[in-house]
Amino acid sequence: MKLTFSLALGGIPIGAMYALQALGIVIVYKTSKVFNFASGAIGLACAYFGSTLHAHGIPSLPAVLLTIVLGVAIGVLMELTVRPVKGALTGTIVTLGWLLVLTGGVGWVYGTQVATNEPVRLLSDKQAFDVGGVLVYSYQQLGLLVIAGALAAGLALFFRLSGLGTATRAVSEAPDAARLLGIQVDRVNLVAWGLGGAVSGLAGVLVAPLLGGLNTTALIILTVQALAAALVGRLSSLPMTFAGGVVLGMLQPVVHRALASFSGLKGTDELTAFIVVLVALLFMRRSGRKDVVSGGLVPVPIRALPTGRLAALSFAGVALGALLLPILLGDRGNLSRYNLTQVAVWGTATLSLVLLVGVVGQVSVCQAVFMGCGAYGTGIALAHGLPFLLAGIAGALLAAAVAALVGLPAIRLEPLELAIATLSLSFTADRFLYSWPPLASDDGKREVVRPGFAGVDPGHVAAGNRAYAWLALGVFIVACFAVASLRRGRTGAALTALRSSEPATAAMGFSVVSVKLRGFAASGFLAGLAGALYAGLVQGASGAPFDFTRSITLLAYAVIIGVGSVPGAFFGGLVLTLTTVDFGATSDVANGQVVSLTTLFTGALLIGVLTLSPDGVAGAVGRLRLRRGPATSPAEVFA
Amino acid sequence: MSAALELRDIGVRFGAFDAVDGVSLTVNAGEVVGLIGPNGAGKTVTFNVVTGLQPATRGRVLLGGTDVTRAPAHARTAMGLARTFQVVQLFAGMTVLENLMVAAHRHTHAGVLVDALRLPGRRRALATAEERGRAVLSFLELPHLADVEVTTLPVGQARLVELARALCLTPSVLLLDEPASGLDPAETADFVALLAHVRATLGCAMLLVEHDMGVVMPLCDHVVVMDFGTVLASGPPLEVREDAKVRAAYLGEEVA
Ligand SMILES: Nc1ncnc2c1ncn2[C@@H]1O[C@H](COP(=O)(O)OP(=O)(O)OP(=O)(O)O)[C@@H](O)[C@H]1O
Ligand SMILES: [Mg+2]
Repeated sequence: MKLTFSLALGGIPIGAMYALQALGIVIVYKTSKVFNFASGAIGLACAYFGSTLHAHGIPSLPAVLLTIVLGVAIGVLMELTVRPVKGALTGTIVTLGWLLVLTGGVGWVYGTQVATNEPVRLLSDKQAFDVGGVLVYSYQQLGLLVIAGALAAGLALFFRLSGLGTATRAVSEAPDAARLLGIQVDRVNLVAWGLGGAVSGLAGVLVAPLLGGLNTTALIILTVQALAAALVGRLSSLPMTFAGGVVLGMLQPVVHRALASFSGLKGTDELTAFIVVLVALLFMRRSGRKDVVSGGLVPVPIRALPTGRLAALSFAGVALGALLLPILLGDRGNLSRYNLTQVAVWGTATLSLVLLVGVVGQVSVCQAVFMGCGAYGTGIALAHGLPFLLAGIAGALLAAAVAALVGLPAIRLEPLELAIATLSLSFTADRFLYSWPPLASDDGKREVVRPGFAGVDPGHVAAGNRAYAWLALGVFIVACFAVASLRRGRTGAALTALRSSEPATAAMGFSVVSVKLRGFAASGFLAGLAGALYAGLVQGASGAPFDFTRSITLLAYAVIIGVGSVPGAFFGGLVLTLTTVDFGATSDVANGQVVSLTTLFTGALLIGVLTLSPDGVAGAVGRLRLRRGPATSPAEVFA
Repeated sequence: MSAALELRDIGVRFGAFDAVDGVSLTVNAGEVVGLIGPNGAGKTVTFNVVTGLQPATRGRVLLGGTDVTRAPAHARTAMGLARTFQVVQLFAGMTVLENLMVAAHRHTHAGVLVDALRLPGRRRALATAEERGRAVLSFLELPHLADVEVTTLPVGQARLVELARALCLTPSVLLLDEPASGLDPAETADFVALLAHVRATLGCAMLLVEHDMGVVMPLCDHVVVMDFGTVLASGPPLEVREDAKVRAAYLGEEVA
């Protein structure tokens, strides 16, 4: 009991840091209704910046103050890119682009390995006091707690007194009316984003020493804790948000201890935060949903997805690509076959998103997690003696089951809320799922040996075999046909109807729950297949290829290319393959820099495309060619 | 013989407000019942309770004698219930025929696998649905609209298409929520004739919410008047029309 108490108290300072990070999110959300998923990444950038300043001889305090300036600058820049975008969900996806830009940028400048740089410290970590062994704080912990508490109180007061609070509410509830009342909407938004950026940045700078150094992944994954705290504060109350962060901080060490008896369990902190996120989302739902039927609410028109000839087109695309790729990617030998297989893998993965976003009308930021389930599932099935093909299908079925599980809350959640839940799942998978003993082994890996490759050194698996490349391509082509057929069949009709009017679809005799779940499961199955194929290609399942960056990148390219398009999946596969090519980088460091640059580029592309052409490249091309109608734009899907 | 549709003491409460408060009514097989009342009387909420889109706070709904109070909306549709909406709820982005096919799929069976892998059942399901959709379109003399995208339809035609879509479900009880609102007098007259035709040919029971007495009077066998969530009066159309309470509460301004 005493120990539990002491553990909980010990978690307060880091909880206060979660709270600070969450405040950054809430301040932005209150005004713009956009969820700043890049909050952790802003903290990351500021933490590195502060450390650099300090290393160049600038004392701690001025260094920290300068990082706040950087936070403001990033926040303001983000506002400028979110402003032209319509709809909170699309705006939120722009912030995912910023997450990539900031992560990639930091990785490029500093290298992606855990940095040797010391974070800038305001206070020493010498022990400040010790109350009977129950409450032991260092000066640093104590100081951070005081700073965070003071900041939260100050912000709450500022919002109440400055009139910004009222203006903020006016802007978020009715921007047009606010404009008419003479409130400068753009300026209010700018102030909120600047303030939010500053708080997020400061949170990153302050928390870095508590995380034991500058750790890129740790700093970004902090977002899941911040999301949890922000949701506990119902995205509006600053004091409740602060309390939420502190309580989460207290809960985590207790949960960790309770689960410590299960050996090999890692990432319980993220698991705790994820569960808080889910519970908060489900409880936060307004009692009684908006009744579309009695109110004069006009359903948002969603344009028909372009159908017909798509399967044929994608076939032609694949054939063309198969011819071009060896030329594009070097010699006609093993390397091109390896890359061709990758195109099929990532193409299938993109296709799973085309199905989910374009047909089901839901957004998932955890598609790579489904891939991971497919990969690990294949490994497990192989270990049970199933032949490779059946094992792959078993893996995909596991992914489908997980996807249906994720889809379950989606029945009650708005697309934006589902984005929050799935992103949280991605972070949690990195820390928890991919080292969960039933799924992975000790080192987070699982063996996957494809036929005829027993005993081949994993280092040489790039020497892909022809049969496997054809298998992967075959799966991809069948998947293309399957998605196109599904869309035009009975289930597709129900899914399309569902996006237009849930009450009317139910009145036509379709169970809304079951239709949505089937959509999720089908999408998860495809992603799982892609994961299984990937595992076979690289001779093993592990978490790294399916981390949160991959989930975001998958969604990014699905959006960039246009979510409504089946042939787009082929180009998605092509581009995603290109993003994994190391361009002959010779050292790990150089390779890391290429990866970082690619991430940066992907993020910038996502921001650019959403700002300039909300329906992606396919939409832009469609408009140029003045076809029957534009492909479904994310803006419409998300509306 | 049990009634096609029966409501027993239905109540719906939103917070502290009783939108529907103790409504009972019966629609016998083949009968057309009018449900009228001023704006906000609770007619649409009653419809939502019957179709399962809005849970009732109290009371029971019986469909052909079976208690469906706890059944979800889609299960009630499977038992022969169909409706149209006050605010037209056609599926945007689809053609008229595609809209009708969604409903007609009530009569088909094809799961995700059958659809995705083009297994034998798929073609049959699509053919059945299309055939049904086209049949209903020609029954309502609308075959020329089959390939029109629904968002481009004028209100009058959109309401007809919603009726057609409901008929694709082969209903035994049809609920129509202000089907003639937004129609001009000529269209309304055609619509009344059409409903009479539907009734004569298909013989399904109907519950009809309508403000236009020119629609209610000639069509209905029986009229129920609602006000403030309760039943004010019920009876044959002419009798209800003369009822003093009704005239005061509702018809007062309209008939005079
Ligand atoms: N989901 C809801 N939450 C709260 N109140 C509601 C809800 N749905 C309907 N109401 C209220 O219930 C009352 C009855 O509404 P209803 O739509 O049934 O009226 P109606 O008789 O159909 O009127 P009209 O002729 O205007 O269509 C109205 O006051 C309405 O505001
Ligand atoms: Mg109504």
